[in-house]
Amino acid sequence: MEKYDLIVIGAGPGGYPAAIRAAQLGASVAIVEKEALGGTCLNWGCIPTKTLIASAVLYWHMRHAQALGVSVEKVLFDYAAMIQHKNQVVAKLRGGIAQLLKANGVTVFEGMAAFMTRNRLTIQRNGKESVALEAARIIIAAGSSAVLPAFLPKAASVVESRAFLDLPRLPARLIVLGGGVIGCELACMAAQLGAQVTIVEILDDILVMLDADLRTEARRYMENQLKIRILTGKPLEQIKAGAQGVKGQVAGEGIEAELLLAAVGRQPVTEQLALDKAGLKPNAKGYIEVNAVGQTPSAGIYAIGDVNGGPQLAHAATAQGLLAAEHAVKPRLTLRAQVVPSCIFTAPEIAVVGLSEQDAKQQNRAVKTGKFHFAALGKAVASGETTGFVKWIVDADTDQLLGAAAIGAHATELIATAVTAVQAELTAAEFARTIQAHPTLSEAWMEAAHAVHGQCIHAPPRRKHVERKA
Amino acid sequence: MVQTVIMPKLGQTVEESTILKWHKREGEPVKKGEILFEIETDKAVLEIESFFEGTLLKIVVAEGQTVPVSVPVAFIGQPGDKIPEVKPVKRVAPAADTTPAHVAVPPAPALRSALAKEGPSSHLRPSGFGGQAVVSPPPPVRKAISPRARRLIRECVISADPIPGTGPGGRVVEKDVQAYLEAKNYAELKITPAAKNLARANGIDILAVPRVASQARITVATIQQAIAEKPVTMSKMRQVIAQRLTASFTTTPHFYVTVAVDMTDLLEWRKILKNENKPFTVTDFILKAVALALVEFPALNSSTDGRATRWHSRVHLGMAVSIAEGLVVPVIRNAHELSIAELHELAAGLALKARDGKLTPDEMTGSTFTVSNMGMLDVDNFTAIINPGESAILAVASTRPTPVVRDGKIEIRAIMKITLASDHRLVDGACAARFVNRIKSMLEDLELWKSMI
Repeated sequence: MEKYDLIVIGAGPGGYPAAIRAAQLGASVAIVEKEALGGTCLNWGCIPTKTLIASAVLYWHMRHAQALGVSVEKVLFDYAAMIQHKNQVVAKLRGGIAQLLKANGVTVFEGMAAFMTRNRLTIQRNGKESVALEAARIIIAAGSSAVLPAFLPKAASVVESRAFLDLPRLPARLIVLGGGVIGCELACMAAQLGAQVTIVEILDDILVMLDADLRTEARRYMENQLKIRILTGKPLEQIKAGAQGVKGQVAGEGIEAELLLAAVGRQPVTEQLALDKAGLKPNAKGYIEVNAVGQTPSAGIYAIGDVNGGPQLAHAATAQGLLAAEHAVKPRLTLRAQVVPSCIFTAPEIAVVGLSEQDAKQQNRAVKTGKFHFAALGKAVASGETTGFVKWIVDADTDQLLGAAAIGAHATELIATAVTAVQAELTAAEFARTIQAHPTLSEAWMEAAHAVHGQCIHAPPRRKHVERKA
Repeated sequence: MVQTVIMPKLGQTVEESTILKWHKREGEPVKKGEILFEIETDKAVLEIESFFEGTLLKIVVAEGQTVPVSVPVAFIGQPGDKIPEVKPVKRVAPAADTTPAHVAVPPAPALRSALAKEGPSSHLRPSGFGGQAVVSPPPPVRKAISPRARRLIRECVISADPIPGTGPGGRVVEKDVQAYLEAKNYAELKITPAAKNLARANGIDILAVPRVASQARITVATIQQAIAEKPVTMSKMRQVIAQRLTASFTTTPHFYVTVAVDMTDLLEWRKILKNENKPFTVTDFILKAVALALVEFPALNSSTDGRATRWHSRVHLGMAVSIAEGLVVPVIRNAHELSIAELHELAAGLALKARDGKLTPDEMTGSTFTVSNMGMLDVDNFTAIINPGESAILAVASTRPTPVVRDGKIEIRAIMKITLASDHRLVDGACAARFVNRIKSMLEDLELWKSMI
């Protein structure tokens, strides 16, 4: 029985930072990983998708370079080479994590962890028990995996996101089931590389967590520029799949493709953990419920990231992991404001932080908004990236910046300014007084802050409106 | 022809009322029977319907104003009609005859605005709420402050009250504010811009905001907490409840007698009755038993001013009903003459009206004895405060399966504790004990009930 101060189950973006932070604070730490350091984010999520998207975006830009006076002849892409590049990127970053863990004195165990008691774990490798571990504190960071619903036929032509990232070649025609973040990102990537893509979403729109104006803008670009067919409000029925392709019906119309990507949600990975031995019981949706610092009802056990049912975002898991690790090593109440940005790497990119307009309406809050379109911004016009806008959501009474959204080129980088402003509880008036460098895309935030008070310089005046749900 | 809408008199003892809300605006058409405005008396909030048809020409008494009954509050007529002149109505002093312990009740909006100005650091600290029913703030002393000082105070979102003035006649000048800010280490406060705006909008003194640690950043959450802790003026109804209960509890010598009533047989029989479509409640049986006992015990249906006692020949039963805004006590008149079926109907009707806020003041006055039933609230036992003008109150607790000794054996029975609070000036211990035991024996006597239903 090896003893540690803290054991972390899962070395994803929540688990490995937690292990490192605990080690930094002087604890003896072990981390258990069943598959690959870096978890979903690094191996089958954020990083590989963004690598492929980077290739796809570059290809798209080269094919559309004529507008900026550059002509490139015979632009080609080699999907297998793109996958190989992706694999190199992932391997490099994975090696980095191994080094960091080693440098901080964290012991890595490969295998599947299962609880024996509240503070003991057994680690199984290749079906054999290799070692038993004990610790006063355990952080569960087991993550989530993509759901393949039972109604989908089991065939080579039906994949979830993880398998999609290792395809030897890009299908010429693709059906994406599910218009959420993952589905839309991969749909845009495939479409930019020239695939014929159809998104089928049973809800009334794609990306429903976003405000309507963002959805409209994204959908318009995806349909008109990327030529993606988007079918919403109806299910995909009578799905038939074989080795060669997949067929289905949406509202009576037959659609077919070489491949179907199922992106209908993710489920927490808890099955093999033997949670009952630790006195834990997942809730109805399978998540482990926790308090504000990540503590489960079982003393000494924490759960962070996707397993606890919070936002399924790598950076949310990291923040929770650090907080839980600090609390586990030096228990004291260190609550932090949870301003969590969210980035979507579609074309155009979308990023949001804080309160959305539709949330505000649901909470019956009086808000004002200030919006600025890139089409009116010098730098955006100069670089031919005029799609999209930025928007502030502002408390009508106190002028507080409650939230922000950006859609367009580089939106996922632009959101950083807004994250700082929302976390610092700045007011629109305060932000409007900052000076943003010209000519940059960041100027849009300043102009949008001016727009909140109807004082935008580079947009015609519009009538101020305060919305409050009746 | 212009019709005058007057403040209605909604009860024997109601002398004045406050207009809470106008449902119509000036210039809007009004139909007969439409709700015109909402008033609050010291007992209830009521909606007032229009007796007239036409256009609401003018509102004389604004929302929040309190005026005596029968004075004009609005005029209804045809557009263009000449509106008679009305002198601005002066608010009457609170009627002393309805409130035994006279407490100056300031008009609610005035108090509220005074509080908003002063914030939690003012003289109205929460501790000031103990003791008397209502603490009326001293008339606000208008502090002389120079315009520059006032501007700085506003910019810093602080209260002017604690700042000592060194100008002529104690006037606060800019350098006084600067010195005060320095003494309080204002420059070291870390406050977010949004939090500052929120504090200013809500009259919160930033220097008085409670914080976890002195170095902690003042955020929107900190200010929201301070806003939530601001004193809130009680509704007029709540103020009257506070005042009357305090008067009763401090001037009436209460004493308490508790007995345990075995409800097993009655509850069994009640189930049978329910199946026969006679859905009597436990309260119905208690009310009937109390009414019968009160006829036998005149001392319990009396009142006193400390020098004379007065017996009430009729039993008017008060029935405490908990509602969202507080507590009301509708009255079942002549309860001693009513059958249990009549009692059931009246009690249910009054309780429903109470919960809908539709009781009229007359339905809430004149009780001679009160029953407070907390049976549905899962309590072992409790004591109640006597309603002013009565000699006792019966507190009824939850019925519970309890081990009891019967014929030398332990049995599980459905036991309900009842506690009588009596005014010792009118009722002695032996009398109170006999009274509660009489109620107990009636509730345990199934044959008695069978003879009545």
